[in-house]
Amino acid sequence: MDGTRVESSKYVLAYKSAPEVGKFFAIDVAACAKSGPPPKVLQIDAHMPEHRHGMNYRPEVKLLAPGRWRAEGLMFHMPGKWEFVFVVDGERLASGMVLSFFSDQEVQRILSHGPWPPKPRRDPSNRVSGKLEAVVLGERLFFDPRLSGTSSVLCATCHVPFRGFQDGRAKGFGLELVDRNTPTLFDVGQYRWFGWDGAHDSLWSQSIRPLLDPREMKSSAREVGVFIRKYYLSGYERAFGRPPPGDDEELLADVGKALAAFQETLVSSRTPFDDFRDSLEQQMPSAYPENARRGLKIFIGKGNCSVCHFGPQFTNGEFADIGVPFFSAPGKVDAGRHDGIKKLKSDSYNLLGRYNDDASRSTATGTRHVEPQHRNFGEFRVPGLRNVARTAPYMHNGSLATLTDVVKHYSEINEDRLHSDGERILKKLFLNEQETEDLVAFLVSLSEKDTAGRK
Amino acid sequence: MGAAANAQPIFDAHMHYSHDAWDVVPVQDVLAILKKAGVRRALISSSGDDGQQRLFQAAPDVIIPELRPYRSRSDVGTWFRDESVIPYLQERLSKFRYAGIGEFHLYGENADLPVPRRMVELARKHGLFLHAHSDIDAVERLFRQWPQARILWAHAGFERPEKVAEMLKKHRNLWADLAFRTDHGSGGKVDPAWRATFMAFPDRFMVGTDTYTPERWHYVGEHAAWSRQWLSDLPKDVAERIAWKNGEQVFGSLLRPE
Repeated sequence: MDGTRVESSKYVLAYKSAPEVGKFFAIDVAACAKSGPPPKVLQIDAHMPEHRHGMNYRPEVKLLAPGRWRAEGLMFHMPGKWEFVFVVDGERLASGMVLSFFSDQEVQRILSHGPWPPKPRRDPSNRVSGKLEAVVLGERLFFDPRLSGTSSVLCATCHVPFRGFQDGRAKGFGLELVDRNTPTLFDVGQYRWFGWDGAHDSLWSQSIRPLLDPREMKSSAREVGVFIRKYYLSGYERAFGRPPPGDDEELLADVGKALAAFQETLVSSRTPFDDFRDSLEQQMPSAYPENARRGLKIFIGKGNCSVCHFGPQFTNGEFADIGVPFFSAPGKVDAGRHDGIKKLKSDSYNLLGRYNDDASRSTATGTRHVEPQHRNFGEFRVPGLRNVARTAPYMHNGSLATLTDVVKHYSEINEDRLHSDGERILKKLFLNEQETEDLVAFLVSLSEKDTAGRK
Repeated sequence: MGAAANAQPIFDAHMHYSHDAWDVVPVQDVLAILKKAGVRRALISSSGDDGQQRLFQAAPDVIIPELRPYRSRSDVGTWFRDESVIPYLQERLSKFRYAGIGEFHLYGENADLPVPRRMVELARKHGLFLHAHSDIDAVERLFRQWPQARILWAHAGFERPEKVAEMLKKHRNLWADLAFRTDHGSGGKVDPAWRATFMAFPDRFMVGTDTYTPERWHYVGEHAAWSRQWLSDLPKDVAERIAWKNGEQVFGSLLRPE
């Protein structure tokens, strides 16, 4: 018989099995004596020498033919070093193996969520992207309340650094309450679309939006222009290498670009998951907690989470309807991506417009080709999950307070709210309490190590 | 989009008014939405049939009810094995008037299970349309069960236009709704393959919004405008047929107010 061979002074034995963690499996065994007739009796057991315990189940051994047996009902309930113990007509033979918690396919999926941090990348649509003087200007503007029309709110009013660059509120509040949750700015330089509805195609155009929204900063191109020319003349000249232009809208675009240059530097730090991911790649041991490993297995497996939350940022950068109601007030809906595309197309600051510094317009491919579809109605951006434990509450309207609430939302998802077209990515998961805790433990491990996040 | 296109009435052949919509979009709001959108008549089914009966009572000249084999939308994936569906259908059919049974979700060999077979028998007995969200296989099985069936094929099975054309050519009693698909009219222009299919079968298509969640009632106006936009890329007579004449011709006479 093919398979793994093991021998003693009297016997030669070969066995075949394919154990996976937590699953019952069978083992086929063939044994013969080095001289004389085949052995008559085989006993099989297995244990973990380093843990000094065995299996929780006693296998049943059946004789198939002289010298051939099949044992069923074995289970290795945890990963690590296991040892099969065969007793052939009273003689003991042992054979060790290391059982990985993750299959090869799962390992490949895990590796795809890194490495981290990503290489810095410059935004071709922003000529001051990555330029130190623009970063300095952008940071000063980010914390200057005079940028608002009322001189009373600043970007950091909602994007609070010590709150993960969001505000911890269900819905943002600048000068008035808005309809949506304030997203974090961590890793925002990596995005394709900006805002919950993707109404902006660059970080700099997105940065202009709250300046002009009367509920947020209530300013105007004219007011911003006056402010920059009065208080930031030299800073602007250092960043852009020229005096401020006379055209207020052009200057407003540049303010967006300076703010973007600063926000591009807000890259989240490495996390316990990243350490585990890299150790897996290097085949080194890791202290990554068992519960997070189990949660990760759900995330990349039966949870289907990584279908949309994939790659190093844990997002596909697109939009989805995950069954969260999207009435924003009685009789009023937040149409999400559907309206976002329409706003994008009509935005004079989009990448098809004259303020894009990328003369080739290669950055505008998505803007050129995106068209609203019926399914976009009520879709919202798939957020990245890095530092997710620091950015509660969750969903576009902040309707879920904790990560446990989020996991339960998916586990008990209201399938009535999902269109029945095509493949169902979202299905009820029926996670038990332990599995829910494990998935939350994994999500917490995507946050920086000093995080005291809310579960 | 010209003024004539703006005025194009709409027959919306794919609407739902299910239990979770009744409180947040009350009957009068629904009717106001339809009126504002220029939806002349609407073929409406509901999970939990009471909602659409309220609509029908309030506006029998606008609402054309279908009977859905779902008491709640969670029946979508189980109804075809649920024996209790049949007495539910029988009870509703004995009390109320309907133009069809549907929209129901039914795929492949499930169409030949006992519950769908009994449902088809009820449709035959009462002379009702079948509104099937189905693949080609299930549509074929329904026609085998009842060769004279009249079937409105929801979303035209999400099939390519060539396949839809094949089915329409094969089955004279098959009509297609275009709900929840964008491929035929993205950007206000009719896709060439779809254009050929529309021109070959101008009297077999209808539009539909598919208000499968309460929020989607607030998409009816948007959808009507979008429909008018791509329809304006077709010859006027074909556009009129798809916009409302087909629906009116096929369903309009079935359920006139008594």
